[in-house]
Amino acid sequence: MLLTRRTTLAGLGAGLALAGRARAAAPSAVNIGFFTETKPTMLAKGEGWFESGVGGKLSWTEMGSGADINTAITSGSCDIGLSTGSAATAAGIAQQLPFKLIGMVDNIGPAEEMTVRTAANIKTAADFKGKKVATPFGSTSHFRLLGFLKTNGLTQRDVTVLDMKAAAIVAAWSRGEIDAAYVWAPAKSKILADGGTPFPTYEALDKAGYVIADLIIVRDAFAQQYPDAVTGFLKAYGKALGMYRAESDKTADIVAKQAGVSPAVALADMKEYDFVPLAEQVTPAWLGGTATDPGKFARVLKGTADFLVEQRSIKTAPALETFQKAIDTSFLAKAIA
Amino acid sequence: MSRSIPAWAITLASIAVVLCAWVGVTEGGLVRDLFLPSPADLWSGFLELIDEGYKGRPLLVHVGDSLFRVGAGFVTGVAAGTLLGLAMGYLPKLDALAAPFVEFLRPLPQLAYLILLIIWLGIGETSKITMLFLAALPVAAVAARDGVRNVPAERLRVAQTLGASSWQVFRHVIIPSALPEILVGARLAAGIVYGTLIAAEIIAGSSGIGWMILDAGRFLRSDYVFVGIIMLGLAGIAIDRALLLIEKRAVHWAGR
Amino acid sequence: MQSVRTAPHDLAAADPVARQTRAWSERRTRTALGAASVVAMLLAWWAASATHMVRPDLLPSPADVGKAAVEVITEGYRGTTLLQNIAATLGRLLAGFGVATLLGVPLGLWMGSNRALHAAIDWIVQFMRPLPPLSYMILLILWLGTGDLSKSTLLFLTAFPIIVAASAAGVRGVKLQRIQVARALGAGRGAVFRHVVLPSAAPMIMTGLQIALAAAFSTVVSAELLAATDGLGWMVISASTFLRNDIIILCIIILGLLGVGLASGLRAIDRRVIHWRGRE
Repeated sequence: MLLTRRTTLAGLGAGLALAGRARAAAPSAVNIGFFTETKPTMLAKGEGWFESGVGGKLSWTEMGSGADINTAITSGSCDIGLSTGSAATAAGIAQQLPFKLIGMVDNIGPAEEMTVRTAANIKTAADFKGKKVATPFGSTSHFRLLGFLKTNGLTQRDVTVLDMKAAAIVAAWSRGEIDAAYVWAPAKSKILADGGTPFPTYEALDKAGYVIADLIIVRDAFAQQYPDAVTGFLKAYGKALGMYRAESDKTADIVAKQAGVSPAVALADMKEYDFVPLAEQVTPAWLGGTATDPGKFARVLKGTADFLVEQRSIKTAPALETFQKAIDTSFLAKAIA
Repeated sequence: MSRSIPAWAITLASIAVVLCAWVGVTEGGLVRDLFLPSPADLWSGFLELIDEGYKGRPLLVHVGDSLFRVGAGFVTGVAAGTLLGLAMGYLPKLDALAAPFVEFLRPLPQLAYLILLIIWLGIGETSKITMLFLAALPVAAVAARDGVRNVPAERLRVAQTLGASSWQVFRHVIIPSALPEILVGARLAAGIVYGTLIAAEIIAGSSGIGWMILDAGRFLRSDYVFVGIIMLGLAGIAIDRALLLIEKRAVHWAGR
Repeated sequence: MQSVRTAPHDLAAADPVARQTRAWSERRTRTALGAASVVAMLLAWWAASATHMVRPDLLPSPADVGKAAVEVITEGYRGTTLLQNIAATLGRLLAGFGVATLLGVPLGLWMGSNRALHAAIDWIVQFMRPLPPLSYMILLILWLGTGDLSKSTLLFLTAFPIIVAASAAGVRGVKLQRIQVARALGAGRGAVFRHVVLPSAAPMIMTGLQIALAAAFSTVVSAELLAATDGLGWMVISASTFLRNDIIILCIIILGLLGVGLASGLRAIDRRVIHWRGRE
């Protein structure tokens, strides 16, 4: 065929059209910010379900906290944040960071909890006065701890709150230098085993509105460009949840391998989380919202943001509508269809 | 032509240009306040910090805690390092024995052994100051050692011809000759201790300007981050200039 | 060893051959003593853990660290190989330091010879110098992303002010008479720069480079603290998260040796290139 101008242009046009369609279908490289954790997310990761769901190559970057995911998304180097904490997400929405909340990994419930040193003899909230409590700042645990202090009339002058990463907490705990810690697995089980006693706070805090969850967020531009990939990602997680419900032992085996713990530990950890099924997430009981009912989670996020403003962690918190608008359940709806 | 405009005027003009560009870019909405706060944001953030403190402690407490750590790490590290370096310069066999450890410790990133310090020394001020001490020691030691080595040979000859004992030689010839380099080493050590402050304050963070910067940065409170950085920068320059003054005075007095 | 105590009495040092031989045997004694010192430390370490004087969870034995080394070399660490991590960190360091040198030396030389430029820019350089790199890392990640760029830029910003300041100081320290003599002998500005200013400034520039490299190296772990996926810094931080003390100590040893190696390398270049040091 002669390479005339017309054929070249036609070829170019066809190529662009194809490329356009291909772009909307599958991205070339997707950056996922994640945490190594004992949850079905690791099942979907390990079995490659996320990869096939998205339809493109996945680049997994391990993050230190939900705040790191916020920063990464804002700078454009992260596309999907997997299992990011609700405290960081609320902060991010308040700061109009370019992402949408599209799904939940879990409702945390008792999985993050206060552990006190048995020898410190802490039986009531008032006993915390003069004690040292450690937690990773900026996390959902930190949020709960501050909520605990507030609901019990304690200030940060009464109780010394220390900003420590989980590993440092475990190390300092064995030296007896901290009296309590608000943290999650595996640190929580390690300090419990090392002279610790559970100090349950989650029920009261959940009732008082200090609900915490691990969420899935997606960068705005990415979601607009590759909506099918986002839906595929959620579908993959739904599949993992299904397998966990049906074959929890087998799930624990795979998750354990990814997280570097024993299957028994993985199973025990997972049992503490409330893994809300996708079909339920889409209702106003969680992420969903209607014209009249903004939905539970919009309110949770607004309350979280307001509290963070009180703590001066962020400058301002917008109205409830902003949080509603930041939640996009359309991908969930397509994923369960 | 540049000789007619005094240097300070050019500096002021340069600062003014940067300030204008900064205001223009931020107030003009080219960049979000997260990425780069405007001078107005910084000022209101600063006032807020003075008013309410940061996370339950007044700003002055944070500044004081940081200065205390820097000071303690600096004084202990430079004292120990200078003594070690003097000994290393004077006793070549000691130099050969100690040099591998000093040279190994010098470039070692402090964050690498942070968790070990917690495990061995706990989460109090001890581990933080130890980290700063370890940052300062090798620099001060090498400077003192070089200062001793570079003592001009004739001075030693003269002193010994005059019948001075080893101790007198050390006190009246070696130390004064080495003093300028010891002080340069101290100034370098101050810079390194200062640069290590934030890493040290990661240990059970609850106070300190360094920790404040890291914590504020988590939720992108760039105004607090910038205020903290500027405070650190200005304090760092002040400390450096103060040490430079001491250095110049001592060198002058040492009769060079 | 040329001791400060004994030097003045040593008239035999006047003979160049004797001096060479003494220097050689001195260096060997020095190396032997240094090696003996390190071996003694290793023995003490081994003894402390073998006799359980120190708890194993506080300090792993040399054997544990050795096993960790084998594990990391054969199986890698969490999906990365040791070589990959060393290469990643060295790559970022050389990129940051390299660009800092390429940009910093000419800028410093220019600043040193141009009063107006010095007055205009020096305040920025002086302000950047004392800033702890970790303080602005979050801003770099926000502006430049979580990839290599933000990390190399952090290392660049650590080295750059030191190199610029040293180069400027080197130029300003050139003795005025030399320039005048050269000019009187008819040399043009370019020739004066190349044959008088540069050689005079070179020792100070080299010293600045060495300090800058040390500063940048001690920052590599900070650079890999936030959202890194490989590198020695990432490895030691990740090992800290899992309280793998054996891997932590392994990384410390590797980092220390790398640091010493880089510093020695730069010193060797200094000795070779600046052979006129000390005779200004």
